[in-house]
Amino acid sequence: MQAQATFSPAVEPPKAKRRKVRPARIVLYVVLIVLALVMAFPLLFGVAGSISTAEDYIRTPWFPIPYTPTLENWSLLLSDSTPVWQWVVNTLIRAGWYIVVPAIVAVMGGYALSKLKFRGRDTAFIYLLASLMLPPIVYLVPTYVMMARWPLAGGNNLLGQGGQGFINEWPALLITGWVNVFYLFMFRQTFSTIPGDFEEAARVDGAGTLRCLKDVYLPMLKPTLVVLFIFQFVAIWNDYLWPLFVSTGNKDIWTMSLGFQMLANSGNYLKGLPATTLDYPFLFALATFSILPLIIMYLVLQRFFVEGVQGFAIKG
Amino acid sequence: MPAGAPSLAERFTRWRFRHRQAFEGWLILTPILLYFSFFFLFPLFSSLALSFTRWSGLSGSPVWVGLANYIRYFSDSSYVQVILNTALFAVAILLIQTALAFFIALLLNEKIKGRGLFRAAWYVPTLTSAAIMAQVASVFIAPNGGVINSVLLSLGLPPIIFYVEVGWMRVIIILFSVWRGVGGPVILYLAALQGIHPELYEAAQVDGARRRDLLRYITLPLLTPMTIFVLVTGVIGTAQIFEAVMFMSKGGPANQTNVLMLQIYQDAFANSNIGIASAGAIVLGLLLLVSSLVNIRVLSRGQIAS
Repeated sequence: MQAQATFSPAVEPPKAKRRKVRPARIVLYVVLIVLALVMAFPLLFGVAGSISTAEDYIRTPWFPIPYTPTLENWSLLLSDSTPVWQWVVNTLIRAGWYIVVPAIVAVMGGYALSKLKFRGRDTAFIYLLASLMLPPIVYLVPTYVMMARWPLAGGNNLLGQGGQGFINEWPALLITGWVNVFYLFMFRQTFSTIPGDFEEAARVDGAGTLRCLKDVYLPMLKPTLVVLFIFQFVAIWNDYLWPLFVSTGNKDIWTMSLGFQMLANSGNYLKGLPATTLDYPFLFALATFSILPLIIMYLVLQRFFVEGVQGFAIKG
Repeated sequence: MPAGAPSLAERFTRWRFRHRQAFEGWLILTPILLYFSFFFLFPLFSSLALSFTRWSGLSGSPVWVGLANYIRYFSDSSYVQVILNTALFAVAILLIQTALAFFIALLLNEKIKGRGLFRAAWYVPTLTSAAIMAQVASVFIAPNGGVINSVLLSLGLPPIIFYVEVGWMRVIIILFSVWRGVGGPVILYLAALQGIHPELYEAAQVDGARRRDLLRYITLPLLTPMTIFVLVTGVIGTAQIFEAVMFMSKGGPANQTNVLMLQIYQDAFANSNIGIASAGAIVLGLLLLVSSLVNIRVLSRGQIAS
């Protein structure tokens, strides 16, 4: 007793200090880990389910434990019996197009709206901005009608009657959305944070506007371009409503999210089993496969992402 | 006159420079504005015009019906229910999501090991297509052998039949949407938190401020602009709730969880009634416009008061 009492003063101060810091720290980590697991639970569930056999999958309903891991679902999914690779290629074509075109428009337009001074500029900007107030659904149906009534396309005559226009054709998936006002706004804000001195110095050296954009501004726009890349890649990869509207009738141009819906219930059919029940392990292989590219892309680009968001959302 | 010539030349260069800006400005903006008008203004006005008509969209031409579609939207009880559902979902999801995002961003802004991975976990649901995740979620709420019901059964509790119980279906739709939508606001709040100068905290700590005070008097006020941004842009997203409802409840039971976007979709494509679909789109557009304006008004006043 006595020994302990004399011993304690020497030990207690650091102990007390640690006690003050550590439990809070541990609680923080526990909370973070639990919450992260909740957020990622369906993903983990999907990965585990996709490598389970049908028996293992139903054994523990709250989380599938693959006692005998199998790649059957994955090899079936990636084999020639499903058109997933076609859908991936289609989606990548669309994503590439919808990253490059809106990026060019946003860089050029953002430059004009921020760095060039001329009459009518701000009126034009407000005109563009007003559209952000309206949800896309307002013009979705008429745009669908426009695609269907496009003159001289898909059997249509000059007045757009008689055929089906661009419906179920590639142009319907590529022709809208080149001008994205959100990105124009984002790039205008980013341009306005860059001082004009850089451009003036380049112009003294004889550079034209395109040279200035390419050599002076483009390197400084990288974080904002990364944000555009991530947003657009995710948006196009997951775009469901518009492809559903305009491409349901043509399997060759289906994108991943549309194809996913069509293939989700056909696991048992592909395996030659009675299709009375849903083949969950196959469904989860398909779901995991559809999500994977986005997660990999995000993990690679994550560190530029917050920086890029900061560039236009805080300074701007 | 060595002094006059350069000034004239200088003036000319300056004039040409100014001229160049207008020339290049319109060279860039003209195609953008033309394209934009073609794909925005034209559909917008045809949507407006079609909302006063009855038209199947398949054949024939639109028939003028005046305000009939709008009257139906605000008197037919099933359409009123749809508007109320949309408002309920939009507000509930937005508030829960924003509060959660704020709290989580504070946690993720701490100096912790593996911060990148924790942050990524919060963004994963936002990355994934709602179509896919709703399919996954439906596995959880399936009446027989669904994850939730299996757990309830093993705990000796009665199972919940989500497809019949409206209240639970709504809860599931809200939880699902929050889970999916919280990632974006978390990133925005993180960006805002990192924009706060650490010196502010240090100065306050020197003056004897506690952790709670730092949060109350520095972090909260400095994050107000971001909160306005998150709420205003957020309501535009949450009011357009579509996939969660389409894939989990299809608006059921008895249309009681249906929302405007899904109703518009069903009217336009399943019921072949472009007229009322267009009216629905205009109603949604107006609701969003009003709520954004109210949001901006109320929140900016609150900011001035505090």
